[in-house]
Amino acid sequence: MRMVAERLRSLFRIRRRARDPQSFERLFNQFRQVLESNNRALETINEMGDILGGDYLFDVQYVKRAYAELSSSLNDSLRGFDVLTQNRYPRLQEAYRRIDETISRVIGEPTVVSGELIVFYENITADMSDLVGGKNASLAELRNALKLDVPPAFAVTARAFDSFVQHNRIFEKVEASGGGAALSESSFAELHEAMLHGEIPPDLERAMDKALRRLGQLCGRECSISVRSSAGEEDGDLSFAGQFETILNVPLELEAVEDAYRKVLASLFSGKSWVYLTRKGYDVRKMKMAAACMVMVDAAVSGVLYSADPLGDTDVVVINSGWGLGPSIVEGRMDVDRYLVKKGGVPEIADVRIGEKGSMTVGLRGGGVAESETPKDVAATPSLTQGQVLELARLGVMIETHFRRPQDVEWAIDAEGATYLLQSRPLRFAEASRTAAESAPVADSDVLMKRKGLVVQGGAASGRVFILRKAREVDLVPKGAVLVARHDSSILVRVMPQVSAIITDTGTSTSHMSSLSREFRVPTAVNVGDAARVLTHGQEVTVVVGDGGVSVYRGRVGRLLSAAGLDSTRMEDLHEFRRKRFLLRYIAPLNLVDPLREEFTPEACKTLHDILRFIHEKSVAELIDSASFGSTSRAAARLDLPIPAGIVVIDIGGGLSNPNGDDRVTLEQISSTPLKAVITGMTHPGVWRSDAVPLTVGDFMTSMLRAPGVAPQGALVMDRNVAVVSREYMNLNLKFGYHFTILDCYCSKNARNNHVYFRFAGGATEITKRTRRLRFISHVLGEYGFNIKTKGDLVIARLANVGQQEMADILDRIGRMLSYTRQLDAVMHDDSSVEKYVKNFVEEKYGF
Amino acid sequence: MGQYRIMVIDDEKIVGDMAKMSLEQEGYAVETFLNAEPALKRLQEEKFDVVVTDYKMKGIDGMEVLKAVRDRYPKTQVIMITAFANLDAAIEALRRDVHDFFPKPVKIRELKASIKRALEKQSDS
Repeated sequence: MRMVAERLRSLFRIRRRARDPQSFERLFNQFRQVLESNNRALETINEMGDILGGDYLFDVQYVKRAYAELSSSLNDSLRGFDVLTQNRYPRLQEAYRRIDETISRVIGEPTVVSGELIVFYENITADMSDLVGGKNASLAELRNALKLDVPPAFAVTARAFDSFVQHNRIFEKVEASGGGAALSESSFAELHEAMLHGEIPPDLERAMDKALRRLGQLCGRECSISVRSSAGEEDGDLSFAGQFETILNVPLELEAVEDAYRKVLASLFSGKSWVYLTRKGYDVRKMKMAAACMVMVDAAVSGVLYSADPLGDTDVVVINSGWGLGPSIVEGRMDVDRYLVKKGGVPEIADVRIGEKGSMTVGLRGGGVAESETPKDVAATPSLTQGQVLELARLGVMIETHFRRPQDVEWAIDAEGATYLLQSRPLRFAEASRTAAESAPVADSDVLMKRKGLVVQGGAASGRVFILRKAREVDLVPKGAVLVARHDSSILVRVMPQVSAIITDTGTSTSHMSSLSREFRVPTAVNVGDAARVLTHGQEVTVVVGDGGVSVYRGRVGRLLSAAGLDSTRMEDLHEFRRKRFLLRYIAPLNLVDPLREEFTPEACKTLHDILRFIHEKSVAELIDSASFGSTSRAAARLDLPIPAGIVVIDIGGGLSNPNGDDRVTLEQISSTPLKAVITGMTHPGVWRSDAVPLTVGDFMTSMLRAPGVAPQGALVMDRNVAVVSREYMNLNLKFGYHFTILDCYCSKNARNNHVYFRFAGGATEITKRTRRLRFISHVLGEYGFNIKTKGDLVIARLANVGQQEMADILDRIGRMLSYTRQLDAVMHDDSSVEKYVKNFVEEKYGF
Repeated sequence: MGQYRIMVIDDEKIVGDMAKMSLEQEGYAVETFLNAEPALKRLQEEKFDVVVTDYKMKGIDGMEVLKAVRDRYPKTQVIMITAFANLDAAIEALRRDVHDFFPKPVKIRELKASIKRALEKQSDS
């Protein structure tokens, strides 16, 4: 409390500082210009939010044009603001430049990246993700920020990729035949060949050689490395799980590493990535593939941990583990141990299932890996100790906390028991499926399989069974089939967009294929055991993947199928769409809400909206300061009203009748026609409610997030509301809680000169209720003949050519409306209540 | 009753991708092209019920697409979209020949409604 009081005091503390004597009129005009350009900018932000929201087809031209418009308004604001504040906030320009650079980079076409060809993990910084790719960036962050154990490694960067592609003129061949919407699969095959046989450019070869020598010094010349892909967006919002090549156990020799590197680059153009990239809307000509060269962990145990259950439970950590190296586990080729750990103050193991780990992947002397049979005596023994399980869970929670979302982490434990992290990416949750109640009765004879296996993605579908015996037959799977396979494998992504369900006899819910199934939202169950034996190739079935496993029924059972099928991809999955909409992250959210907090600084501005908010707040403060305490002796006085509206009035000529220059004035001492009318309205009996209106929990949360001092603290002094007035003119800036109102009007005897400009934005309640208030305001203003425009949570209304008395009456009603609507959105519970409150208001019934 | 076939031609990939995704949700079979040349080639092989094309493109532009469609498939409806909102003259010239005309950004709901009307018109005629 004391701190708040102190801040309040400091806010109102008299600041006498030297400033150039500039006339108040000039200052005020500057102030109006700043607000005007601020408002233009906010309108563009609102519009961009609408257009980029997924309801419009837009092109890059639109994004560029809209952003140019926004930048131009914002630059006007900043220039005016600097003049107004005499350059007191140089850091605001810096904040703007920082945000603008990021946005421009997203809007612009990807260009050749600059930076080193090779960067060791210890030198990777947060701004390098374009250069080193997603996988390298997140692993380096685990190492550098969280100090976790990641094996020694370096990134071969996107610049190295560019250099390789240019050196070998990779794209020239397909460019000539290009022009279709996407590259064909045969172009992919050509590119794949060209990459495999490309020559490593001499400067890259030298850099690689040097880097390998350094790794050799760190881990000894006998050690070997893995070479993995780290494409631009890999391990970001889309996983690319298992799409690209990983070469394990590569000897620390230049030639071998170069070979592996070529294979990894070439996998960008594999048949399997073709389906994924095309489906997700990537233009492969613009993709960049960095690579990770990492010292191999001589793994005794490897596995995957999910820091939450992808089926929705975020209070648990799921750990799958097996003997030996990771590939057979992440590819779901063999049975694994599965541990479920309950998070919480003291994590505890909630469930353990020990698998029959019949095979394992091992490194071969001289390079490469092979599958080998697990020694009989350990196949069915737990691969992790209780302590290791809890330690892994602890790491999972820590990583999740750091990245602020659940993670999918690959790890390995060596013979000495040291744990290393090999990958971390955001965990994709299974889409909630709209499966019809499974309790719908089905004759026993029609039940082919009941609740078996592990659920990867819920849902219901029907189709003909296709039993996949050999991976190379995957292209024969027809559209709409229920795909049944012995093993789960990321190769199945080739047909994922077109099959109706996937069932595999082995596999884990943490495999690459499982990630992909969730991404494509294909109903999928793994580890079912005998589906390939029980189901018959070609038979029509209905599959329900839900609570406790997969059930399969004979024929098509309509009532079990959800009314609307899950779409295999959504707009949000489209690369370019996400990239463009991603822009809004740097534009629209408002983080800077409370001017009384210490964080209300230029440095804290994360978005353009924050910058506009800062400008607005400080401009109003500046105006009050300079009028009250600046070198110009200007009558500034606080309005003494029966309501705590906290309005400071600055008189620029004939607006106040306070002959003694008192710093507090009453309603009677206002001689400005428009201000008098508005204040009369605001203080009209019954319109300003001082008792708290009950907020719902949702409202309360929203108001906590968005604004300080909303309704419950109704008695709190409102800060910094300001009216600049003359006898016939008023510019009123009001902020009640989170509502911003600007009322600018001229009210003289000459109707032709008269105008009202009304602008209202914001609200502390949930968006639907805010929208209701906007509708309320629009309806009421419509009653008085205003010309109204609404955009998002913004209303702009204009009225002109109205006689003095009529205008005063209207301003009185607007005053009442301003008081009345302060808490209105908290009580308008449904759409029909809008009409009711409009009617009441017009009939002067002000009770809620 | 087979699926209706929709062709979308726009030199910006994002437009085709978004159109494809939203129109496939309506049950249409959608093919997209980044420029008119391969699109016209495809039209030689197969009839489309509605062609949505950008007005201004490098090489063959929307007007030529319109003409080619008119010559070969008089019943196929053409919807023109354009980045320039103020092409009054063009709109006027096109009004007789195209089913609909949209300035970008295009509200997807309106495009869907327009396609639906185009298909109805086609089956009436």
